[in-house]
Amino acid sequence: MKKRTQLILAIAIIAIIAVSIVAYYYLIVPPRRTIKIGLVASLTGSAADVGTDMERAAILAVEEINAAGGVYVREYNSKLKIELIVGDDKTSPADGATVVTKLITEDNVDVLVGGFSSAVTLASQVPAIDHNVPFVITGASSSLVTRRTDKNTSYMFHYCTITDDYSETIVRFLNHTVKPIVAPNRNLSLAILYQNTAYGQGCYQSTINFINDLGLNITIVDAETFGMGDTDFHTQLLKIKDAKPDAVYHAGFTKDTSDAIKQGIADVGLNTLYIAVECCEEPQFYEFLGIYGDHQILESKFGPQAESYLDAVDTYKTTYIERWGVIPGMMGADTYDAIYLIAQAIENAGTLDKAKIRDEIESIEMPQMLIMMKDGIIRFDENHEIDPLCFIEQMIWDGTTLKPYIVYPDELKQRDFELPPDYEPGGP
Amino acid sequence: MKRLPLAISLPTLIQILIWGLIVGCIYVLLASGLNLIFGVMKVVNFAHGEFMIMGGYVSYWVSILEGLNPYLSIFVSMIIVGAVGILTERICFHQVLGTSKLNELILSLGLIYVLQNAMSVLWTDYPVLIDSPFKNIIVEFGIVRMRLDWLIVIGITVLVMAGFYILIRKTKIGRAMRATSQNRVAAMLMGINVERINMFSFGLGTALAATAGTLLAITTSITPYAGEIPALKAFTIIILGGLGSPLGAVVGGLAYGLVESCAVTILGGTWRDAVGFAILILVLIVRPTGLFGEKEK
Repeated sequence: MKKRTQLILAIAIIAIIAVSIVAYYYLIVPPRRTIKIGLVASLTGSAADVGTDMERAAILAVEEINAAGGVYVREYNSKLKIELIVGDDKTSPADGATVVTKLITEDNVDVLVGGFSSAVTLASQVPAIDHNVPFVITGASSSLVTRRTDKNTSYMFHYCTITDDYSETIVRFLNHTVKPIVAPNRNLSLAILYQNTAYGQGCYQSTINFINDLGLNITIVDAETFGMGDTDFHTQLLKIKDAKPDAVYHAGFTKDTSDAIKQGIADVGLNTLYIAVECCEEPQFYEFLGIYGDHQILESKFGPQAESYLDAVDTYKTTYIERWGVIPGMMGADTYDAIYLIAQAIENAGTLDKAKIRDEIESIEMPQMLIMMKDGIIRFDENHEIDPLCFIEQMIWDGTTLKPYIVYPDELKQRDFELPPDYEPGGP
Repeated sequence: MKRLPLAISLPTLIQILIWGLIVGCIYVLLASGLNLIFGVMKVVNFAHGEFMIMGGYVSYWVSILEGLNPYLSIFVSMIIVGAVGILTERICFHQVLGTSKLNELILSLGLIYVLQNAMSVLWTDYPVLIDSPFKNIIVEFGIVRMRLDWLIVIGITVLVMAGFYILIRKTKIGRAMRATSQNRVAAMLMGINVERINMFSFGLGTALAATAGTLLAITTSITPYAGEIPALKAFTIIILGGLGSPLGAVVGGLAYGLVESCAVTILGGTWRDAVGFAILILVLIVRPTGLFGEKEK
């Protein structure tokens, strides 16, 4: 009898344990699933080269994370794999909004990443804002994407340099490095040719602001605009030439910037110092420019074509080339970092609840990866923006290819800045 | 901080106007082709700009693969794009001709995306600039300095338009095209094979667009998506010059190029596309038949 009681007791305990385990897994632990990250990229249209780079970088990051087992999510008590769902915004604001709506409502993504072009992203982020889906924006430079006042941007995060970062780096470089050589006893004359979009206007306005705020001896002698997708800059460049600038700051994308520099040098005879911004840090930019890029300037924050300056960049570059057979571009690097950042935030949150993921992205602190931060730590400020360390590259034509070298700031410098061989200084 | 828009020197102003003429030459070729297609077939082909871009890519292809001078590659481009134009007319427009204007419109709008994507697959989305062998040659006329290529663009436009004029005015097929354009039924009754004239006109129109595309790729650059706005401008030009008027297309094209350059100079680059359409609205209000158009009888 005693033995029988013991047996019943043992069976009861085992049954209770078994039921508890089953209940835990089926009632408390939600069924195992994948983490769905929606990538918004321009896979067709005028920014297709950038979008393709973003897609490749995102795939690479996801493959690496999944190869290591995935992301541990406490709520599921296991490591979950990431599923990347790519949406093509076709470099169009309308298509951007449509594809983001699809990613949210049909694909049920947990987080969004990507977005190129401020004009496109300002439209494509609206469905994410309306549905409270965290969106780590990695390719739009206008600060408006997290600072717009017509919408609640608390779910928007800007893992990308903004136009203020570009312009501050450029005017500091001009004042520190170019002015002493070109205009030691007068103000440096600067012309700006900018895309008439939120991004271009941001570059133009922040340049004026930094020149004034920092009290720099730089005068803007002409400011010209162009439309997104324009290919003809002759008229603007002729006007700029007439204004006699010491340097021309072109705030545009890969294609328009390379077109403008070529037309300026070859057609208009404007032999000056051209400054491009980091959106152009794409392998195609160097190809398009060719010899016309010799001794010209590129503001950047990620230089895969430059000499080695950061181990993480070297490793990424090698892996990327092995996987895709081409050199990585700028916006892909932002996107690569952002996927890791999202993975870390989800692990910290321990859940796939969007509000909790948002909170963890907002408070994240992790070591810098491909994009250097001024203090080496990835974190978002009150505007949901990062604090990246930008630099200036000078492109040198070696007879067959164009290669960039960091010339500013001093702590990263790989060679001294030199004026282009045919450089003609401007006037006061 | 911004300078006054007209605070520019005389040489710069002259160069800006010359550039306006060069852009105008490209518009003349594009608009003349569109005008021909509309004049003969009464078809509104919004995909005309895509044929222009195709022309630029074919010339680029031929000049790279065969090492042919890009200016000579224009002939190859005209033949290939003209043939694609004839095929398009047979397969697409011929089927809907005379059914409804809406069908023609939707068809041409659909063609834009089909052709853009086809070109994107064939030649990628990257911009293409055809390297001219004369790219480093600069000619100077007193205070004015310009690339030799700019003069060649003007010369080629004059030659092509002269050839086009002779074809239309002095040849049998040209007379047949004019007859079809004036009265399609009467032309048929006079024994003209209007279907063949449709084919030929579409082919010739797209071949003219191919010439414009090659010159565009030599002077600026092209992408598969760069044809939409020029096609709209070509429509503006032929409405401005008078629908069906060859002289109107020439004068309208040159005027449009000049106005566009002046608009960029005075108002800024943002106004490049807007100002032409503003003029179009003005012309339609003041003279709905266009500058050289005649009132419909």
